[in-house]
Amino acid sequence: MKNRNLNYSSAHKKYLRGLKLKTFSVHLVRILLLFVVLGLWELCATTQLIDPFISSSPSRIINQIKILAGNGALWHHSSVTLYETVLAFSISTLVGTIVAILLYAVPFIRKVLEPYLIVLNSLPKIALGPLIIVWMGTGTKAIVAMGILICIVITTISMLNGYLSVDKEKILLLKTMGASKLQILFKLILPATFSDFISILKINVGMSWVGTVMGEYLTSKAGLGYLIVYGGQVFKLDLVMAAIVVLCILAGLMYAIIASLELIVNSKRNK
Amino acid sequence: MGNILELKDVELIYHSPQSETHALEKLSFQVENGEFVSIVGPSGCGKTTLLSLIAGILKPTSGKITISGKHISADASQTGYMFQRDNLFEWLNIWKNVTLGLGFKKRFTNENKDYANNLLNKYGLKDFKSHYPSQLSGGMRQRVALIRTLSLRPKLLLLDEPFSALDYQTRLAVQDDVHAIIKNEQKTAILVTHDIGEAIALSSKIIVLTSRPATVKNIINLDFDKNLTPFERRKNIKFNEYFNQIWSELDS
Ligand SMILES: Nc1ncnc2c1ncn2[C@@H]1O[C@H](COP(=O)(O)OP(=O)(O)O)[C@@H](O)[C@H]1O
Ligand SMILES: [Mg+2]
Repeated sequence: MKNRNLNYSSAHKKYLRGLKLKTFSVHLVRILLLFVVLGLWELCATTQLIDPFISSSPSRIINQIKILAGNGALWHHSSVTLYETVLAFSISTLVGTIVAILLYAVPFIRKVLEPYLIVLNSLPKIALGPLIIVWMGTGTKAIVAMGILICIVITTISMLNGYLSVDKEKILLLKTMGASKLQILFKLILPATFSDFISILKINVGMSWVGTVMGEYLTSKAGLGYLIVYGGQVFKLDLVMAAIVVLCILAGLMYAIIASLELIVNSKRNK
Repeated sequence: MGNILELKDVELIYHSPQSETHALEKLSFQVENGEFVSIVGPSGCGKTTLLSLIAGILKPTSGKITISGKHISADASQTGYMFQRDNLFEWLNIWKNVTLGLGFKKRFTNENKDYANNLLNKYGLKDFKSHYPSQLSGGMRQRVALIRTLSLRPKLLLLDEPFSALDYQTRLAVQDDVHAIIKNEQKTAILVTHDIGEAIALSSKIIVLTSRPATVKNIINLDFDKNLTPFERRKNIKFNEYFNQIWSELDS
């Protein structure tokens, strides 16, 4: 890398420096923005410009998180929600993709089910909440079911659309080479739609958190969603805020894992 | 040498809810072993349809198509198909692209791998085996596509306007390349094109089709010195004569 740098013209070096400066300033302003907002919030709260009892404040949130971490509640509630989310995420991604493959492979079933899929997709899943509780009980199962419900339809529809948009000529090419249907699936359809798959993983990270937190609002004895509902009911806004901050961190981490998975696979592919 | 391909009274009708399209009608011709046949005809007359039939992707509505005297079946690996676009898989390197077809039907033998490897070495892609398609020029990509087709050792090559996506200069160069490779490997080829010049530059015989429903209008045997490259043919006096002849055939 270093020696290559030496061969660049001074104009190109200048361009690279400019580029570096730009990314650096984006990062800098990004972090500054966070601190400015947090700082103003804190300032307004300590000067009683806003009521910290209602609006909470960064320092109160940090204290609350410290308390939760101290008595083990933080780990307990986070792990409950994380477990539900990862479960809902994995099941809906896996099953949704398999269903999409089946629908792709059998056009007859696809055509039969098309209107039902569209209706299911536009249905607000939370409307099914009471049914889920009656059918699944009030435990983890119901919450995971809510998460799955939210992710699975969109997974199926997105992946199916991805498969359907694979270049027809490439399919024809493989047919002329004597490929079987299964070979076409594994050699062409799945690799060609890899980026669609990564997008749906990224969407599902967000959606599965939505689903499980929603599920916990409906029925739960533990979890970050439970903490938020509970905090709201007893008017402990610090607790609500703390739970939201932890949610943000966990969801961000999960997204980062998917993004790095994408990087790893892409670099393996294009080595 | 004998006929490798025979079409007798081939007819094809496309059906769709709105209408039926009579694409081919009473189409008959033969191709001899080792020939390079071009099929020219107006756009939309049924050239691609014709190649799909020969490749066994489509079944004729009526009529008979035989390769080496045998009826074609869909899985026969007797024909190799090359499309207008190279259709390389961007996520596979050149070597994996070229040997893609060997993976099907258990053809991934050492002998077949060696053959593919030799083709790459021989035709200027030796140093590009681990490159990815996006790193190659349009001309090189089309060469890779040809070698991918050849690596399955088809008896008959079917080329569907394989040069039309290339810019003019590249096209002339790639035509020379492809022609040389096909001659070298002693393959029989059928090239479909709407470019009269391309047909004259490359083939030993030109079949002119009528507009839809396509049937054979005329068959013209080209008489050039055997050693001329396509590019040299374009500068030959006979080139213009043939060009005018075929032009008027297509016009009327
Ligand atoms: N799958 C299909 N269904 C219906 N009509 C088709 C289909 N494929 C091609 N056609 C029609 O058949 C005719 C011949 O098409 P094609 O063989 O692609 O022509 P060419 O390759 O000579 O341009 C065209 O009119 C086209 O619209
Ligand atoms: Mg065509």
